[in-house]
Amino acid sequence: MGGYIGKPIPRVEDLRFVTGRGRYTDDIKVANACFACFARAPYAHALIHRIDVSAAAVAPGVIAVLTVDDYLADGHKGMSHVPVPADAVDAKLPAFKATPETPIFDAPHLPMVRDKVRHVGEAVAMILAETYAQARDAADLVVVDYEPLPAVVVTLDAMAEGAPQIWDGAPGNICFDQSFGDKDATDKAFEGAHLVLERTFVNSRIINCQMEPRSAIGVYDAKEDVYHLIAGSQGAVRQRVELAQSLGVPIDRTQVVCPDTGGGFGPRTTLYAEQLAVTWAAKRVGRPVKWTSDRSEAFLTDYQGRGMTTRAAMAFDKKGRILGMKTEVYGNIGGHTVSFVPVSNNYRVTTTTYAVPAATVRAVGVLTNTTPTAPFRGAGRPEAHYVIERLLDTAAKTLKIDRIEIRRRNLIPKSALPYRNALGLTYDSGDFHGNMKKSLERADWDGFPVRREASEAQGKLRGIAVANYVESPVGAPRERIVINVRMDGTVEIMAGTQSTGQGHETTFAQVVADHLSVDMKTIRLVTGDTRIISVGGGTHSDRSMRLGGTLLVEACADIVAQARVLAARAFERPESEIVFEDGMFTHPSTNRAYSIFEAAALDTQAMLTSAKEFSGRMPAYPTGCAVCELEIDPDTGVTQIVRYTSIDDVGQPINPLIVDGQVHGGIAQGVGQALMEDFQVDPATGQVLGGSFMDYGVPRADHFPHFDIDFTEDPTAGNPLRVKGGGESGITPATAVIINAVVDALSPYGIEHIDLPATPMKIWKTIDEARKAQKTPKANAAPTVEAA
Amino acid sequence: MPIKVEITVNGAPTSAEVEPRTLLVHYLREYLGLTGTHVGCDTTQCGACVVHADGRSIKSCTALAAQMNGAKITTIEGLAATHPDAEGLHPLQAAFRDCHGLQCGFCTPGMIMSGSALLLENADPTDHEIRDWLEGNICRCTGYHNIVRAVKAAASAMREPKDPRPQETAA
Repeated sequence: MGGYIGKPIPRVEDLRFVTGRGRYTDDIKVANACFACFARAPYAHALIHRIDVSAAAVAPGVIAVLTVDDYLADGHKGMSHVPVPADAVDAKLPAFKATPETPIFDAPHLPMVRDKVRHVGEAVAMILAETYAQARDAADLVVVDYEPLPAVVVTLDAMAEGAPQIWDGAPGNICFDQSFGDKDATDKAFEGAHLVLERTFVNSRIINCQMEPRSAIGVYDAKEDVYHLIAGSQGAVRQRVELAQSLGVPIDRTQVVCPDTGGGFGPRTTLYAEQLAVTWAAKRVGRPVKWTSDRSEAFLTDYQGRGMTTRAAMAFDKKGRILGMKTEVYGNIGGHTVSFVPVSNNYRVTTTTYAVPAATVRAVGVLTNTTPTAPFRGAGRPEAHYVIERLLDTAAKTLKIDRIEIRRRNLIPKSALPYRNALGLTYDSGDFHGNMKKSLERADWDGFPVRREASEAQGKLRGIAVANYVESPVGAPRERIVINVRMDGTVEIMAGTQSTGQGHETTFAQVVADHLSVDMKTIRLVTGDTRIISVGGGTHSDRSMRLGGTLLVEACADIVAQARVLAARAFERPESEIVFEDGMFTHPSTNRAYSIFEAAALDTQAMLTSAKEFSGRMPAYPTGCAVCELEIDPDTGVTQIVRYTSIDDVGQPINPLIVDGQVHGGIAQGVGQALMEDFQVDPATGQVLGGSFMDYGVPRADHFPHFDIDFTEDPTAGNPLRVKGGGESGITPATAVIINAVVDALSPYGIEHIDLPATPMKIWKTIDEARKAQKTPKANAAPTVEAA
Repeated sequence: MPIKVEITVNGAPTSAEVEPRTLLVHYLREYLGLTGTHVGCDTTQCGACVVHADGRSIKSCTALAAQMNGAKITTIEGLAATHPDAEGLHPLQAAFRDCHGLQCGFCTPGMIMSGSALLLENADPTDHEIRDWLEGNICRCTGYHNIVRAVKAAASAMREPKDPRPQETAA
């Protein structure tokens, strides 16, 4: 027994998934259910004068057509998403504090529009019918009298004088505007600078694209007066809190069940309008109500990622050492205040792995007529890395310093740990220099010139780049684990957090199996059901194994201690003399032995149980280094990533097979944002220009090479499993390293920057313009292309 | 006006009166309760709904149930029976698990149905051929790396059933 931690064990949950027995929300049939479809606003910004549901109400199969007036008449409220997270350092404090000088705007989010549409796709009416097709047919019959208003969708435009105002309580469309860091020290650092680079970086808007379209089933239990919601999400506990608050009922009159969830990535943490609406409507019509999003709705209504604009200035001395950094970060919040997390995460890691002596950040949340944003994998951290790594490559070129060398001169040395960065995070561990060295060697950085020549011989441009990263795991600062060991030989783990594909049924079992010295097969994980789980933060921000794993270890220790007491009593010996080894409790004086299950049988309840809870911050800093090498066809602008290397310090990988997968997936999403994904809306009207997989570039299998990744560890003492986190490792440096590699490939044309995403069209145009501006390419010239 | 369809699904005859606009995927999910076949989009892009129709992979969201009248359909629930290994799984199902070719699992049935159709046509596909074939199946979790590895491993296992270990693919 034992030895599970660290092994690449295939996942125990997979049998049901590979045989089609996964159970997602839409797979669940509830007796007597009716089906919901939402009539949605076609404008980004409009007043609603009248909603005429009369034709829809008499359409075939229609049971009811409901609007927000019905919802409000039932005494319910808008959702409060609590957009300001707990501070990254002191979880008792909010990340953004409201003061008279720095107010914070947060408005309740009604499940349907009352008087004013604030983004395309907002629901204006809910049609309930016997079949989904009937509900959908009837939705087309809802007639709404809209008065379109001028819309604003671009972050900085929304702050401009005279911009359309989206909410009454938010003058200038500002949700918050706060500054951090040591201004005097930073100003002083800039005064003595040899070089100051100033650049603006726009981090494009990303659609979550989890493969399972959102789905929700509302059931009202009239006998018990309890609202039930069945819906996939990243955490049933938080959904329940928001649900109860919106319905205006005590929390115990709501229950949330989260079955298998087809991808999370951040935006499925907070409650959605449709989840609230079906739960309410179930009581109103006295039948269970089911709704499943189609993909077009997902493009309009799933909370979106990124959408951050950064104005950055960086001061260097002659040798390329960073003296100071100033950023202004503008988060595009969208039309409702769902989450300010990306901005709060971003500002804390502004300086990433580099020793930046002084830095300031102005962090601003800006309302626009777009779908609300929420954390998307990395949530502010990839954006920060993109900024600093782009600036470092630009500075290297300007100062004629090698790109590796300028990083070496600025990386935080191991000797400086623990290192408090200029925005207040204290890195406890991480071999930043070592990570880069390993990554460069693995990627054969030194062999690149030969490979570039080979590409040139084929008429291709080849580029390479490196990016270092550090993550700042934060997330919901509360978690709970209960473990029951029963005399029948089974172990039950009840966890507040839950998986959206990370394999907790396997990894949590690995941890417990080792700590109780039992067979993994005896262990069952229960999550995602508030009838059983009362506390827990859900899956995000690399928090599940960090917080949950720590509590697993504590609960196991507690159970072993309880078993020891029982064994001591049975042996009639002092506890201190009882040995627990190889899964057995023994005493030298006897050949009797008890397993943990036999010890449980000695308990009056025939069960050993332990509940452990944690509140606060448990910091850990995943770190690493990525190298990307790519080829561009100058005739088509198409980029092909040919090598992608990553060294990741995730701490101790509980299951390397799973962590590998997490890194791969993160890289892939980063590639998506770097090269193809961009949610386009018409800047003049807010109309959505790419609302399906037909016109939004989500990456496919043929966009990737195999990834070459390896783990390293500079141990953290911050938690007993030495877990740092792997879920966001892949994505954090990805956009930075890919765009730097694209710019490197395009450098023969004198091209110094290209915005995310570097699509073939954008690359082709950039090359074309550069060719026109510069008749003859410089040295290290681009090849003249001949037919292959 | 409902119409009657008769379709053989996973070897068993099925029939129902359906609306003419009923899609095959809805027939499978709603009428037969075979919820392993998923709907991930509405534009025939994502491939979560791939099934085999008369031995070839199709996207069941883009076929009417009525069109499939008389056809033989295999879904993820019936795939193992077409080529069971010692565990009672299709080798590609086992390989997806062994190679960690899935995370959230939602795209997985479509991926496996698509990949298994490739293996019917090409017993020893290259990485390039696998990636090219799977272009019509979207996965948001895995980065496709381990999916490609799984297809290679299954191909190898099906050629040489005695050695089902996952094999490394060249970088």
